[in-house]
Amino acid sequence: MKVRLAPMLALSMATLLVIGACTSAAPTNTGPQTGRTGGILRFGQSAADVGTLDPHFASGTQDRSLIDMVFNALIRFKPGDGTQFEPDLAASLPEPKSEGAKQAWTFTLRKGVMCQPTDGVPAYELTSDDVVYSLQKSADKNRSAYAGEYSGMTFEAIDPSTVKVTLDSPLSKALLYPKLANYSGGYIVCRKAAEKLGADGLKTHPVGTGPFTFKRYSPKEKVELVANEAYFRGKPQLDGVEFLYMPDLTSRELGLLGGQLDVANGTADIAWVEKMERNADAKVDVFGVGEVVSIHFNSRIPPLDKLPVRQAIAYALDRAEFQSLTGARVSEQVFSPVPAQFMPGGLTQQETAAKGLDYKSDRDKAKKLLADAGLANGFTLNMVTSELPSYRVVYESMQAQLAKVGIKIDLKVVDHTSMHSTIRLDTNPIVVYVAFRPNADVYLSQFFHSDAIVVTGKKPNTNFSHYASIDSLIDQARSEPDTAKQTALWKDAQTKILQDMAAYPVMFTNLVYARRKGVDYGHELKSVLALYPGIDETTRLMKK
Amino acid sequence: MIRYVAQRVLLTIPVFLSVLTIVFIVVRVLPGDPATAALGDYASKEAVDALRERLRLNDPLPVQYLRFLADLLRGDLGTSMINSAPIGDQIAHNLPYTLELTLAALLVGVTLGIPVGVYMATRHNELPDYIGRVGSLVGLSVPAFYLGILLILLVGVQLKWLPAIGGGDLTDAGDSLTHLILPALTLGLVMTASVARLARSAMLNVLTQDYVRTARAKGIRERSVISRHALRSALIPIVALTGIWGVALIGDSVTTELVFSRPGLGKLMVGAMLQRDYTTLQSTMVIYALFVVGINLVTDLAYGFVDPRVRTKG
Repeated sequence: MKVRLAPMLALSMATLLVIGACTSAAPTNTGPQTGRTGGILRFGQSAADVGTLDPHFASGTQDRSLIDMVFNALIRFKPGDGTQFEPDLAASLPEPKSEGAKQAWTFTLRKGVMCQPTDGVPAYELTSDDVVYSLQKSADKNRSAYAGEYSGMTFEAIDPSTVKVTLDSPLSKALLYPKLANYSGGYIVCRKAAEKLGADGLKTHPVGTGPFTFKRYSPKEKVELVANEAYFRGKPQLDGVEFLYMPDLTSRELGLLGGQLDVANGTADIAWVEKMERNADAKVDVFGVGEVVSIHFNSRIPPLDKLPVRQAIAYALDRAEFQSLTGARVSEQVFSPVPAQFMPGGLTQQETAAKGLDYKSDRDKAKKLLADAGLANGFTLNMVTSELPSYRVVYESMQAQLAKVGIKIDLKVVDHTSMHSTIRLDTNPIVVYVAFRPNADVYLSQFFHSDAIVVTGKKPNTNFSHYASIDSLIDQARSEPDTAKQTALWKDAQTKILQDMAAYPVMFTNLVYARRKGVDYGHELKSVLALYPGIDETTRLMKK
Repeated sequence: MIRYVAQRVLLTIPVFLSVLTIVFIVVRVLPGDPATAALGDYASKEAVDALRERLRLNDPLPVQYLRFLADLLRGDLGTSMINSAPIGDQIAHNLPYTLELTLAALLVGVTLGIPVGVYMATRHNELPDYIGRVGSLVGLSVPAFYLGILLILLVGVQLKWLPAIGGGDLTDAGDSLTHLILPALTLGLVMTASVARLARSAMLNVLTQDYVRTARAKGIRERSVISRHALRSALIPIVALTGIWGVALIGDSVTTELVFSRPGLGKLMVGAMLQRDYTTLQSTMVIYALFVVGINLVTDLAYGFVDPRVRTKG
């Protein structure tokens, strides 16, 4: 018998595919080109799931970006440009007033800002009561991870549309505005919703005043947002946003190229950027704020306790080699711990070169410094690195570079959270740290103030170098109301850090996002603190 | 038979308890601190310590183990350690996607694999048999995730006939089906290779039996000999192995769900692992274990039902 099954199989396969093709295929989301475009923007984020959508605890990119679409703050960073401020829930940007030794900032709220409705709580107009409740929550260490940012601050509702913030110690605008802007503790939660949902409820059910309203959370899959028709800046162009959790880069890439995604988080690798740009349907945005890579030297662990040894390591390293790991377009070299490209207080290449503190790579000089320190034959250091590529490749590159001057690094790869635990126990002689902080004060306080020294500091944080020589400069700059003088103090502090080689600033890596060409964010992308392109009421899906 | 069933069910209890114990230990020996993972890189030591205390991670392991068992006995799968979402809800949302994928893949594997295997057997040592054997070897050698990416590139990205990623809306049959086809083909085609080889081998055995020769000698049409006489006998080992394939497919669905970014227990479990979400990971593994133990129990009972010798020995 000759059973002819091959044609049957081909037919059944073809039938399956045709059924699929006829039933839906890639959905079209776009509306008309003129007027409101509508459509659901599908956003693929590099994460497995929600961490927490309580803005006062959120720290992951996947949470910050979603929160940014749902909440507002008194002040906001200009969309697409994190270096400028503009009023958000406040009607205008306030000026400070002295009240004895204290300082007061008075905010007048916009009229007609509506808190989004949620189960059992209908929409209602935001008042100073909500703002005070939210800021007090931010300042409460049991209800916020950022309480330290708000110590010495009191919040008071003068009338339903006026909020007064009083500071025990005066701050400049450059330091106060970020605390009350759309970043971390500055986001305003609506009191009635927060009380109704409770602390656990807020983690997966955000309720704010922003352009998009929470609709549904599907665990490990997505969060759906719908346009907030009552948004005070006008109804959003989009009908909604589907925020999909997709930890696998290949899936995000294929989803974008296949038309199931409109925006996808990429990777800071020039090869990936160029590959995506070869596709006619895709566009790649490379923008800030960049996460700064710095190498911190533990001055308590010999031989790093000797300045010439730390300087030798700095001269043995080459920023260009580190930068080649990602490609010049997605990263940029930095010459001080505070990145001069994004915020005041950082030192540029020219400024450090003029002071002879740019530590331009010079391995002969490094060898001479080591020889002078009695270490002509080099030495060995043991340390751990995270398994995350953003850390591991930097450690491995450093390992290869230092080997050229006789310094051997024995590297142990551990998971990311174990690395964080280990480095905080003061065991790594050299710590590579990749981080963004909103201003120079936070950078310097967390990495170089003696209070923040790991294990032994008053408030142990991320001072891995045990550096304690610029406390007065940091404290003085924090309370300096004059912006120019404040910037000068920050620069002085960083000059000292470089002179003492407490840390070697390497580079920052930019954010990389790909989008379909029909996506218009509604603003130029320079730097976004929420670490995503910024989806707001002006974002549109257009026909190509 | 009742005694046999009771024995099998009772034996399942220590097996399941052992699995639970292993799950509990495995989850706790994973590297990384869940409190640090939950709060992120920016958290202070104070905040991490407070969360460890709140999550009762500082309790002695035996205490945590007893609490874990007690909660399970009450049917309480707990809440996510990361975002407090009820794990029961998470499983309820993801489980249908995994079941749908597994069943569809099983269907693809059986409906394609059996005819292919039968055809190969009927063309024994001819060109179609050689092609089928090489093809099935290739099918067994290609990892499901790789095949999935190839299918996505061809059908989802180049031709744009089907969605490249996602699971679709289960309440919309059309949407659900279009999202199911590529992942089901990915898993199903790999399974087809196994089924085809087994079907071929079973058919070759049967086709040499006397009763088949007798049927042919009686002048029965070859198509009837194959389908009514030979295939019925050859199907017995294939059907017996279907349960085991089902279990294997549930396991294989993990990578497929990830490649297609499709909701499901596998994506849930890997996501929990990435987030160091002990409680979700633990409960998801328990559900997987429950499936495997359950399917094995059903298979055991089915054997006993079909073959009286098994239940006599038992």
